[in-house]
Amino acid sequence: MLAYIIRRVGQSALVLLIVGLVAFSMFRFVGDPIDNMLGQERTAEDIDRLRAQLGLDQPFVVQYYKFLEGAVQGNFGVSYRQGRPVAEILLERAPATLELAMVSGVLAILFGIALGVFTAIRRDGVLANVIMSGSLIGVSLPTFLIGILLIYLFSVELGWLPSFGRGETVDLGGWSTGFLTESGLKALILPSITLGLYQMTLIMRLVRSEMLEVLRQDYIRFARARGLRDRAVNFRHALKNTMVPVITVIGLQLGAIIAFAIITETVFQWPGVGLLFINAIQFVDIPVMAAYLMLISVMFVGINLLVDILYFFIDPRLRADRSGGH
Amino acid sequence: MRRLLRLAAVIAAFAPAVQAEEFTWAVNTDPQTMDPHAVNSAPVLGFLNNVYEGLVRRGKDMTVEPALATSWEPIGNGEGWRFTLRQGVTFHDGAEFTAQDVLFSYQRASDEVSDTRSWFAPVSDVVVVDDYTVDFMTTAPNPIFPGSIANWMIMDSGWAEANNAALPDKENGNYATLNTNGTGAFRVTAREPGLRTVLEPFDSWWDEAEHNITRAELTPIQNPATALAALLSGDVDFINPVPIQDVARLKENSDVDVIQGIEARVIMLGFPHEAETLKYSSETTDANPFADVRVRQAVAHAINVPAILQTIMRGNAEEVSQLVSAAMQGYVPALAERPAHDPDRARALLTEAGYPDGFSFGFKCTNNRYLNDEAVCQAITGMLAQVGITATLDAMPVQNYWPELRADNYDMFLLGWSPGTFDAEHPIRFLAATPNEELRVGSWNFGGYSNARVDELLPMIQSEIDPVARQAMIDETTKILQDEMAYVPMYVQPLVWGVRSNIELTQRPDDFFILRWVTVN
Repeated sequence: MLAYIIRRVGQSALVLLIVGLVAFSMFRFVGDPIDNMLGQERTAEDIDRLRAQLGLDQPFVVQYYKFLEGAVQGNFGVSYRQGRPVAEILLERAPATLELAMVSGVLAILFGIALGVFTAIRRDGVLANVIMSGSLIGVSLPTFLIGILLIYLFSVELGWLPSFGRGETVDLGGWSTGFLTESGLKALILPSITLGLYQMTLIMRLVRSEMLEVLRQDYIRFARARGLRDRAVNFRHALKNTMVPVITVIGLQLGAIIAFAIITETVFQWPGVGLLFINAIQFVDIPVMAAYLMLISVMFVGINLLVDILYFFIDPRLRADRSGGH
Repeated sequence: MRRLLRLAAVIAAFAPAVQAEEFTWAVNTDPQTMDPHAVNSAPVLGFLNNVYEGLVRRGKDMTVEPALATSWEPIGNGEGWRFTLRQGVTFHDGAEFTAQDVLFSYQRASDEVSDTRSWFAPVSDVVVVDDYTVDFMTTAPNPIFPGSIANWMIMDSGWAEANNAALPDKENGNYATLNTNGTGAFRVTAREPGLRTVLEPFDSWWDEAEHNITRAELTPIQNPATALAALLSGDVDFINPVPIQDVARLKENSDVDVIQGIEARVIMLGFPHEAETLKYSSETTDANPFADVRVRQAVAHAINVPAILQTIMRGNAEEVSQLVSAAMQGYVPALAERPAHDPDRARALLTEAGYPDGFSFGFKCTNNRYLNDEAVCQAITGMLAQVGITATLDAMPVQNYWPELRADNYDMFLLGWSPGTFDAEHPIRFLAATPNEELRVGSWNFGGYSNARVDELLPMIQSEIDPVARQAMIDETTKILQDEMAYVPMYVQPLVWGVRSNIELTQRPDDFFILRWVTVN
């Protein structure tokens, strides 16, 4: 088993290295940061000097090697745009993204499961059908459009909620939180709905179809035959057995919520890492782009690794296959 | 009755004399640094104009007016300029402003690592005469020098040295990247890059305050639709810019005013004057038609600029015939007429030049640099096709664009130019002079346009003290550039600001937002 884990960790590290290499080979196509860093009145000499100073005149493999050399020591370089260490900027921006992802995740899970169960139990009801058709919106409308629609409805027309930003934040030992102020909580509502809507519909549809599957099973019929109440049958017996695949999907979607926050953050000017990344692309801020991409890939690779290891525990067949050696 | 009066008097006594006026504004680009010498870009200098000050400043109509210097006069026969400094000015931290700070700021801003170095190319030496007199010696007479340093901001030498910020550090940043200490009307009380910057009025400012702001906050909002929503919902009081397609809708809203003006930026087409052959032609592979002035004239006559302005710019821009707009110093009113839209004339010119059937070529364009740039380029491509020249349009983000132009990968390109000095000499120096690294001219003349008379006139324009003689030289240069169709200037980009109707402010053509002209009603 140890050998299996070591092998998976080794594979994950290799994936990370390849992601970094691909990222660095692509940076040249994003553009040239030099023109953004120098003003209108620069000379060709200035351009060459700065390029050499930043090491941009070297092949991308060398640039990548230098980045890795710094990264293993925890040094991700200095942002071209802000002139500050990238690690510092990322730490400053991370709470905004994580809080948003957390709230959207919780909303998506709660409403997803509740609506999924409801539509499964009342599969022929009018309300259930309305919810099911309405959920198509969540799947088919692009995130930025939903965000803009929500802003126009709740900020411009009704004036209930702020149109952008995070509101007032409170600093708790380096972690800026929006949970403790009224404006911070208000500011969370629209972005978290926008970000969580897709995941919510996904979970809802998954729960519904699993639930319909389970409700046809013999043991449910027997449970009903035993005279159990509907509530006990639906929640204690049926829902519990639908949760296994649902939990797997939720785990995988967790990473997606953080990674897809880019669009939501841009629409709501939410000061998280996603917005930072978009700004970095516009400015060709290579150190920030590199650090962000590595961070996201570490996250995805980490989640996958965890899932793989969990499978190993859950599924005995996997163990037999790997340790058999015949 | 007396009781009532007494009550009214009590209430009046408790009411604050001056109401707290908070002002929030959103821009699409956050100033990337607070260091006034590190980056020479409009978002940075425009913002810092509220915090730092120069020896001179520009007024509401762009005229040069006294700021930290009370007066200035030429030395001798144009050997330099003598500035008399204002007395009793203090920096935000309380330090006194003296000639030492001017000398220090000159050294800091003209250092090799500073982005503002080119402003001081004509300066040979700076001499502190006494605490309140400074001489700037120039290599040649320089009539426009005071105006050309309006954005050069004075930093306190003691503060900079104490905080290890004696030179700007663009690559790694330093104390001055995040902190400020100017003499301006506002001081920065909080700075969170990319998130918000808070300003409060500086109580000991030397000049009389016209504004009534007690606190101001700048927020970058990149997404235009979000910025518009923030303005409409009242979350912000002012946004810059307003998307052109939303102008008509905003004008109907009584809570919001749209303030329009003409920016300094001229949008033009450029050509590969030096190239031997076209790079992206399918049939004309052994010649460069654009080297022929008749072909360039044909391009000018083929493009229907009024139609572009009416449809794509929705009537918000103005035609231009020169490299500077009419608001700039040195504009030539006599040469204001653009080549008329005349497809027949264009075809005749092409035939004359030996291309009766036209030719095909590659047209490079940006898609995120100028207002509706890609749409404009598509329109131009269509108009050129009508006279028989087929452009293959390649529109790309500006981050990729300049490297392509530097590598000469184009047959025709789009360029916008905003003269930093507000003088016609600026585009001549950067766009029309033969590129010369040593003389520091022609650094944006990608096509390598070269005219001996223009090269001869440029240093004369730069050093001519007599305004009439100087204007005559600019007239001559402008005429040459028009006759040779070195570039095809098309229109001046509009400035569109959106503001809540309870706010009064002043829009300056350089797109700088000056907080001290804001009144909240």
